[in-house]
Amino acid sequence: MLLKGKNAVITGCLQGIGKATLETFSNNGSNVWACALAPTDEFETFCQQLAIKNNVWIKPIYFDLLDQEQIKAALKQIASDKMPIHALVNIAGMTKDAIFHMIPMYQMKMIFEVNFFSQMYITQFVTKIMIRQKFGSVINISSISALDGSYGQLSYSASKAALIGATRTLSAELAEKGIRVNALAPGVIATDMNKIVPENIISEHIKKMSIKRLGRPDEVSKAILFLASDLSAYVTGQVIRIDGGIK
Amino acid sequence: MTTTEKYNLVFCETFEIEESKLAGLKYQSVLLWDSIGHMSLIASLEDSFDIMMETDDIIDLSSYEKGKEILTKNYEVEF
Repeated sequence: MLLKGKNAVITGCLQGIGKATLETFSNNGSNVWACALAPTDEFETFCQQLAIKNNVWIKPIYFDLLDQEQIKAALKQIASDKMPIHALVNIAGMTKDAIFHMIPMYQMKMIFEVNFFSQMYITQFVTKIMIRQKFGSVINISSISALDGSYGQLSYSASKAALIGATRTLSAELAEKGIRVNALAPGVIATDMNKIVPENIISEHIKKMSIKRLGRPDEVSKAILFLASDLSAYVTGQVIRIDGGIK
Repeated sequence: MTTTEKYNLVFCETFEIEESKLAGLKYQSVLLWDSIGHMSLIASLEDSFDIMMETDDIIDLSSYEKGKEILTKNYEVEF
């Protein structure tokens, strides 16, 4: 129970790493504002059952990361609960793969809006609360494509690289306020986002890994748990690869 | 406590200064009102007045007087 009695804001909870993180945090005693794009019966039921199982509260919060007014309304909803926020996990993201000269500028801006600017907007808001509390942990989910590059993923990798820059700078600015800021760079994880990647490309990725398989969302969520918990009390400004040892 | 007293208290506590020094106080005119101190001020104002300040207002809040103006104009705080 690494997060017993703590409260976390997690974005992108509908599926993949976000959903796994919601589950891992809840299993470790954390209450969660579970942010997602739109409600589904399955997600609502998942949250309810998880909350009952772990004797925590989980509040689904819905907003579109492309709509700043929706984000603001959601953040006001979280603030109105007047509870401390121990962790913010920025997971929500999107990709639209295309080689560089085939990327329309509007699309590149949209990906940056979702993967970077909206995350910064949320972070600005939540860290104001954390500054007041004088504690908190922010975890940004970047990607190995931000560190290594990835063919056909310029918008995605560049936006995720921006998150790394923000992580390092924010960690320096917020450390004296008791706030730690770190990033994770997952490799190829078995999520819906990667289901569209052709089999042969997945196989090529696996060949480069020391651990010869795709990562699981729950394996990433455990690294997020570490960064949110006091186990990582002296860790800030770091980017941790969780990629099965890609070379 | 009046609104002005509450407002002054935020400044005095955040920047550890006497109330008599508040008039004309500007960003970076005292040691503790640096960029980090500014965020502490904002956090404390938000807490005291139960508001959520917009980024543009946070940037514009460059003096003791300007803060009053912003709170009055944009957050319905009456002094």
